[in-house]
Amino acid sequence: MSEDIENQLRRVMRPVEPPAGFAERLMRALPERSPRATLASVAVLHPAPRASVWRRLVGPTALAASFVIAVVMGHYVADYQAEQERRAGLEASRELMDALRVTSKKLDQAYEAVNRPPQAPAAAEENRS
Amino acid sequence: MSRAEPNLAVNLQPEHVDTDSLLRSACGGDAKAFEGLVRLHQASVYSIGYRMLGKRDAAEDLAQDVFLQLYRKLDSIESIEHLGFWLRRVAANLAIDRLRRAPFTTGYSLESVAPELADPPADDAAGGDLLMARALWKLLGELAPAARAVMVLRYQEDRDVAEIATALDMPVNTVKSHIKRSLTALRGKMIGAQLITAEDLPEDRP
Repeated sequence: MSEDIENQLRRVMRPVEPPAGFAERLMRALPERSPRATLASVAVLHPAPRASVWRRLVGPTALAASFVIAVVMGHYVADYQAEQERRAGLEASRELMDALRVTSKKLDQAYEAVNRPPQAPAAAEENRS
Repeated sequence: MSRAEPNLAVNLQPEHVDTDSLLRSACGGDAKAFEGLVRLHQASVYSIGYRMLGKRDAAEDLAQDVFLQLYRKLDSIESIEHLGFWLRRVAANLAIDRLRRAPFTTGYSLESVAPELADPPADDAAGGDLLMARALWKLLGELAPAARAVMVLRYQEDRDVAEIATALDMPVNTVKSHIKRSLTALRGKMIGAQLITAEDLPEDRP
């Protein structure tokens, strides 16, 4: 029964032709298309497929090149920034050491002044006369 | 220096035409060859649109859009088999898109879309087909766009389930279940139309 219905469906659903003049109307509606070489002539002339292959490769190649350049530039910029930070760190360290050195010297002088023994009174009188 | 061109407007049956050379010439920019391809496939594409959208003018509009797309994509067509598959896929999916975009303006109406079905049957055999055709139109009008496309590709284009699944981008099991449900519904409509008697029904029916 199922097969009967399916066969009947196929019979009922046969393709029907479009209204007369369909193909002519369609051909008039087609946009202009530049004539190209036929496939047979393309098979004889090898440069055309090669050009086509190149044209197809240009996009991916450009994309890959951009990616490589971006990666290299990224590395360079990162290295440069790291070097700059290292130099700035060294400079800051040097300035800190200088400041500590000066402070230490000043503290030594103050310590010596505080711990210096007082002068004797006789010696002080002699000095006055 | 005039060369006689083959008259592609008449008798374009695939078995009478070297379809591969027609495709090659059309790819090479030969407008006459392209017209030959259109004539070979116009009934199939137009009928997909007609049975999907239910209106002759909408079907013609869809068929024209499909062939215009083909004209722009000719370079991507690899063989005459690929061309047939491509046309069926694009026509069915374009029709589904149009149904989904304007479901209320593209509805079925038996009398308006298929006035030939309202004529009385000429004889018994034709009458059986006519009733089936009526039940089918009614069913197609009630089916969802994707299910409608499945039925059209299966029974109008006689495509197998795997190809329909590829063309409509859906799982094979979904295609099978669409077919099964649609056939069950069709049987119901035919019983309703008293086309088949209780003895004709399958034994495993509930």
